[in-house]
Amino acid sequence: MTDWTSSSVVIRHKVGLHARPSVKLTQLAKTFAATVQIAGTPEGPWIDAKSIVKVMAMKAKQDSTLYLRASGGDAAAAVTALAGLVERDFDEDRAHAASG
Amino acid sequence: MKDKVGIVIVSHSIDVARGTADMVRQMVGDTVPLAYCGGNPEGGLGTDVAKILKAIDEAWSDKGVAILVDLGGAETNSEMAVELLDAGRQGKVVICNAPIVEGAVMAATEASGGGSLEDVRRTAEELSPQ
Amino acid sequence: MKPDLGRLLEGVAARIIAQAEELTALDSAIGDADHGLNMKRGFEAVLADKANILAKPLPEALKAIGMTLVMKVGGASGPLYGTLFLTLGKELPEDPTLADLARALTAAVEAIKARGKADFDNKTMLDVLGPVARHLGDGTATFASVRALAHQRAEATVPMKAIKGRASFLGERSIGHMDPGARSSELMITTLCDELEACA
Repeated sequence: MTDWTSSSVVIRHKVGLHARPSVKLTQLAKTFAATVQIAGTPEGPWIDAKSIVKVMAMKAKQDSTLYLRASGGDAAAAVTALAGLVERDFDEDRAHAASG
Repeated sequence: MKDKVGIVIVSHSIDVARGTADMVRQMVGDTVPLAYCGGNPEGGLGTDVAKILKAIDEAWSDKGVAILVDLGGAETNSEMAVELLDAGRQGKVVICNAPIVEGAVMAATEASGGGSLEDVRRTAEELSPQ
Repeated sequence: MKPDLGRLLEGVAARIIAQAEELTALDSAIGDADHGLNMKRGFEAVLADKANILAKPLPEALKAIGMTLVMKVGGASGPLYGTLFLTLGKELPEDPTLADLARALTAAVEAIKARGKADFDNKTMLDVLGPVARHLGDGTATFASVRALAHQRAEATVPMKAIKGRASFLGERSIGHMDPGARSSELMITTLCDELEACA
């Protein structure tokens, strides 16, 4: 039985979870030892947030909710950090967002 | 940044190679050793073993180097270049069977997270039709 | 008989350079119209380095020619012809017999297959080099028979459909044109036969 720390966050980014936001999310997820997964619904399917190919293939759209869960030593920090990145709109200013 | 796998982009066109490298830098950042080359020895479209060897050297990392190529000649010339490396380096270079632009971004993302050469290759090749 | 390597080298280079336009014309029908120019550039670079190459024993001289072709020819022909000469250099002794030559060329054909991921009947240089390697080993080879075989095998690529390289994008439309790599291989082999026969 895996013990998950979960959260959810609405994607505000104009083009959704596309190329550059996906890269940032993946890079951040990789900095944690925990298993980190994301999904488009609370029921899954859950995908590995450290896999750039899978994250990009998810094609999460603007205004959709992203569900996050993690398990392992730094799970809570991982979920907080990833939710924060999405909330901050992937730390991009508007000028760049259109090309993401 | 030599603790990350290096990425080399080899295209028939220097413009495609440079543009692909720009995308990698903008999307993935500058934590990954990255080099690119394109064009034949006379500056026309094509690939050049000498330029590929130089790019491998520029992007060299002890963790290895992953090469992304476009059309056939780029792969043939890259394989030739790998064979001309010192025996010690040969085993640390892979040519990824992946589309050049997408493969470079995916490979660099994996490399930026500290992935091994095999992780980087597998990530780039996840994109290839089976 | 001790063939003059300088004469062989100059003969082959001069022939390839002289036929550059023909090779380019063949390549413009089914490829990207650069085979003649690329080969010319490569052999001009070999000639420029001639003194250095001829100062070496045969195996090392062949490897030096191979490296120059790899570095200067570009395209797919650079590594393919480079592999031919590099392998010959690796396999041949300083003073080779016909049997050595047959064995070394067979090894080179295998190395080119691996490098180009190609096989016989794919409409490539292999369709000339493979049969010539086999003929050199069958005990009946004469200068005339090798020349005739190289010519016939290059001609035999005309009705073939390209499977490898840029010509393969043309599919059926590659049929009806001689493969430029088969032609450049034929030119090298016939010139070598001419020069060796003249020194014999």
